[in-house]
Amino acid sequence: MSYDPIKLEIFKHLFTAIAEEMGTVLRKASYSPNIKERRDFSCALFDRQGRMIAQAAHIPVHLGSMPLSVKAAISAGANHASPLQPGDVIVLNDPFRGGTHLPDITMVSPVFLPPAISSSISEEIGGSRKGLMGFVASRAHHADVGGMTPGSMPVAREIYQEGLILPPVKLVRAGQMDEGILALILANVRTPQERSGDLWAQIAANQRGTERLVDMVIRYDLDEVTDAEEQLLAYTERMTRRLIASLPDGAYAFTDYLDDDGVRPDPVPITVTVTINGETAKVDFSDSAPQQQGSVNAVYAITLSAVYYVFRCLLGLDVPNNAGCLVPIEVIAPAGTVVNALHPSAVAGGNVETSQRIVDVLLGALAQACPEKVPAASQGTMNNVTIGGSLPLFSEKMGGAGGGRSFAYYETIGGGMGARPNADGPSAIHSHMTNTLNTPAEALEYAYPLRVIRYSVREGSGGKGRFRGGDGIVRDLQVLVDAQVTILSERRKNPPYGLSGGESGQCGENVVVRNGKEIPLPGKGTVELKAGDVLSIRTPGGGGYGKKISNL
Amino acid sequence: MSAPLRIGIDIGGTFTDFVIFCPDSGNVETFKLLSTPHDPAVSVLHGLEKIFAQHGAKNTTVIHGSTVATNALLERKGARTALVTTRGFRDVLQIGRQNRPALYDLFADPPPPLVPPGLRFEVDERVDKDGNVLHALDEVQVDALVKEIKKQNVQSVAVCLLFSFVHPEHEQRIADKLRDAGLLVSPSSEIIPEYREYERASTAAVNAYVSPVLDQYLSHLEDALPSLVSKEGAEVRLRVMQSNGGNISPAEARTHGVRCILSGPAGGVVGCEYVANLSLTPPGGKGAGVRVITFDMGGTSTDVSLIDGKHQITTESIVSGCPILIPMLDIHTIGAGGGSIARVDAGGALRVGPESAGADPGPACYGRGNVPTVTDANVVLGRIPVEYFLGGQMPLNAPRAQAALDKLADELGLSAGQAALGVVQVANAHMERALRVISVERGHDPRTCTLLSFGGAGGLHAADLARELGIPRVLVPPLASTLSAFGMLAADVVKDYTRTVMLSGETPFATLVSLLAPLTARGRQEVESEGIPPDRSRVEQFLDMRYRGQSYELTIPFSEQFAAAFHDFHKTTYGYAREDAPLEIVNIRVRAIGATEPPPLLTQPLGDEDAAGALLETRPVIFKGGKLPTQFYRAEALRPGHRLPGPAIVVRVDTTVLIGVTDVARVDGFGNLLIEVGK
Repeated sequence: MSYDPIKLEIFKHLFTAIAEEMGTVLRKASYSPNIKERRDFSCALFDRQGRMIAQAAHIPVHLGSMPLSVKAAISAGANHASPLQPGDVIVLNDPFRGGTHLPDITMVSPVFLPPAISSSISEEIGGSRKGLMGFVASRAHHADVGGMTPGSMPVAREIYQEGLILPPVKLVRAGQMDEGILALILANVRTPQERSGDLWAQIAANQRGTERLVDMVIRYDLDEVTDAEEQLLAYTERMTRRLIASLPDGAYAFTDYLDDDGVRPDPVPITVTVTINGETAKVDFSDSAPQQQGSVNAVYAITLSAVYYVFRCLLGLDVPNNAGCLVPIEVIAPAGTVVNALHPSAVAGGNVETSQRIVDVLLGALAQACPEKVPAASQGTMNNVTIGGSLPLFSEKMGGAGGGRSFAYYETIGGGMGARPNADGPSAIHSHMTNTLNTPAEALEYAYPLRVIRYSVREGSGGKGRFRGGDGIVRDLQVLVDAQVTILSERRKNPPYGLSGGESGQCGENVVVRNGKEIPLPGKGTVELKAGDVLSIRTPGGGGYGKKISNL
Repeated sequence: MSAPLRIGIDIGGTFTDFVIFCPDSGNVETFKLLSTPHDPAVSVLHGLEKIFAQHGAKNTTVIHGSTVATNALLERKGARTALVTTRGFRDVLQIGRQNRPALYDLFADPPPPLVPPGLRFEVDERVDKDGNVLHALDEVQVDALVKEIKKQNVQSVAVCLLFSFVHPEHEQRIADKLRDAGLLVSPSSEIIPEYREYERASTAAVNAYVSPVLDQYLSHLEDALPSLVSKEGAEVRLRVMQSNGGNISPAEARTHGVRCILSGPAGGVVGCEYVANLSLTPPGGKGAGVRVITFDMGGTSTDVSLIDGKHQITTESIVSGCPILIPMLDIHTIGAGGGSIARVDAGGALRVGPESAGADPGPACYGRGNVPTVTDANVVLGRIPVEYFLGGQMPLNAPRAQAALDKLADELGLSAGQAALGVVQVANAHMERALRVISVERGHDPRTCTLLSFGGAGGLHAADLARELGIPRVLVPPLASTLSAFGMLAADVVKDYTRTVMLSGETPFATLVSLLAPLTARGRQEVESEGIPPDRSRVEQFLDMRYRGQSYELTIPFSEQFAAAFHDFHKTTYGYAREDAPLEIVNIRVRAIGATEPPPLLTQPLGDEDAAGALLETRPVIFKGGKLPTQFYRAEALRPGHRLPGPAIVVRVDTTVLIGVTDVARVDGFGNLLIEVGK
């Protein structure tokens, strides 16, 4: 490999542009508001060995976990009677085989070169046909994949309750949709029409990515592209080593708690010790709680994503997102803990809630090593709300929405960001492991029997300090039909921490307003609402930074 | 009586460009003055004085593109603006879509909302999606609100109530009362009656924020104009360029400032469209549309857009962090240009931009700064003949460029020439990505397009970029550096109307016709009121459609076969169609166009191929394969028919064009340089 500073930069643009174009296709061609409006998806490119080469700046929690999906797809190809071939698309969501939680459906497509230009690839990977040059993958959060509650984010006790499990299987074989598998998937979800639209959109995105990668090889030839991949991985690795080397050697430990697992009331500790040694780091979660009965369990992919995210933030802007980042970092997360749960634990909340707490403990530890780079804790939750039920028979308007048709709506709600060492934290915004958009009130009211009563900044909820934490959000939703609501939220008991003497942010609150009376709800749980009830979610504020000097 | 003079004026960052068309003689003249950023009207008025001194004061139409509205928004120097919303939604602009601007930057702040917390007001009222009033507006409360707003000393008010596009009455009532109190009001249902409350509120707020600034500027100009010509009893009529490629009256611009946000760049695209349609034969033969990618590379940024027969429109623009739903020309801007700074980052990669040396200190070769830029790289490669820069008015400092590149080359372990080639390649990679966004990403194959390069810095990069993207041909018009101002003269009167209807795709054709009728009638009437005779006006009708359940729409020309047209377009754009899936019609759109007579461009017969008469000299230029003797031509001496085999460089007063080693250029009858791009 010859190091070439110019090629490096040019290919960085080329690879990222492909991942971004896949994202544009997925977003625009998809059906559900969850993908289109909220953009809860990611697209990435991989080399032949399944190492991530580029990911578009979509959703951080997908960062470290997409490569495990590709590895799972490769090994499925290897063990399968039918090896990978051009035009295949492998679908999966099994958290214990390359997934994260069931609603996140990943599609992986092997990219083969046309025979005329593939002669230089000699080795076979995963028992596949010759000419395999890499993979493209797309992951999208689907609003419903079956299971015990609409929206498939239940407070469950085992994975079987959480929805349809898809091990890595070929949904498309050599360009031909396996109608049987598609029918099986659609028969197990509450909103089959929407699901099928979204699955098609993912396939379209993968197709686009595949075409672009092949175009690139035709334009530059394979050796050049392969060499560029190696250089990009080495570049990001070099940048990470440089960052770690800039931190003082030592061991930095931090513990924070999940409120509870949704089943028992006890707090769930997560502890990390980050050991900096020259230009490498060891991130050890061994002292964290064992896996839980409820759904707050994170699979290893999630923990890896959180580690990746934190180091990626400290690296600064504009470093390519690729597998090189994790090379100098050793992650220890013993099997059977809440940060590396085993089959068949329930994991719906691990992806969305526990991932945020893992980031909190990592940042808490690293604040001891580089206080000037680390803000106080952000809201530390995604405030997951799923609402489902059946449309009344009279709602035939709007293109003939079927009466009695069931609906499943999912959203996450922003909150306060932690104050920074030099500035207040932004308010009413998504932090850390997610960056999904809201669904506009008007779009939501067209699509679902819901009404948005209030959507405003939750004033005064940010932690006080020399710099104030950002404020949370108040979101009041009225259900117009009887509906089942499931909430998965955190920081309802244990507030986001302040740093350097700054105060904690306020805890969040979940409330139902029925006939003018407020009924408090737990942080995690399912509740039946009557038509006319108002669900009020008040999200946490960020922690403050520094002691307030005076009250002038 | 002689026909009125027509003048296009475009205020850019460094220069204000003037293009004068004299219908009597058929002549087109151009000149540039230095801009006066503290008060842009100064250079405009100065230029007009100059024109009237030369042509005599006669009846004149001035079509003006200004950055006044854009800069007010970018620099957050607009009017003190209040926002009125439905109870519970006062923070709509601050929360936006609740996403953060940079995923991995813990220190990034979202762009500040146009309306600060103290100026956000709520009213009790509520309408549902079908237009039913759930909670009527309380008049007493509105009166109290008006008083409160008056107390806050605001200049402008945006009003955005939920579902106001199906039931505008509440917004209207509030607007009436605020207007009675002497305030400038932007009701969202008037500005853009479409669903998605944040984007609609943002559009209304941008309008409220920039309109008073534009109003002040245009008043100043309109007050000063008559004195320039009044002695002769002549009149000057002012028109303002809009972001949608058309022009409007100043009266409309003053209350609808949001329509003028991309005023200048829109002129450039319209100019390209006009030039391209005249000079190119479409790939599909006569009658088919030409396909052109426009490429305007300046000092700090580059604008690109696609013309497929005509310019493309988007309704998803975001300017300075503010979504704007108003139809605008689909122009993609990136922060890379001739002034972009090259450096080696901590990981050893060669980076170019986004930092720019701007106009001050400017590239090292301007003689003040010493950091290497793209322009310096071009100087070191021998591609910019330093003594001819700006017609010799501003000779460049080549040793300074060389010193800057030497330093960069040391860090890279390369020769200065290799480093300079690298800087150009990396800058091209940035620009290639932008060109891909507006072509391949939107379903257009660049291999069927022509690259039309205008703006000062583009000519040196266009042929190489075309090569990278498989674009077969580059067109550089003779008016390259004043094409925006020229485009303003070619711009029609264009008015856009829209409404969210949210109907089933099964809706009968006749129903849609009757829904479109009022917008169509309004369009015809408003175009006519601009003084355009009916035989020169036309109306285009569109539907924004999607599969039911999707949440983004595609805009389809309205016809009886709209459903089939939608399936086709979806297939082209996203690779699949679902012909059995139910459709939804989200918005109806009408575009009313009053055609203007653009200045005719005259063609001359093609003469001899031999361009020797225009040859300045032969000098070495650095290419990928090494140093090659390269012929330098003076553009002003080129004649139609001349053929310039690469490698060659054409030097104009305001731009330089590179013809690559395997390329061949010829001069067509319009004086355009057409480069056939080689391998």
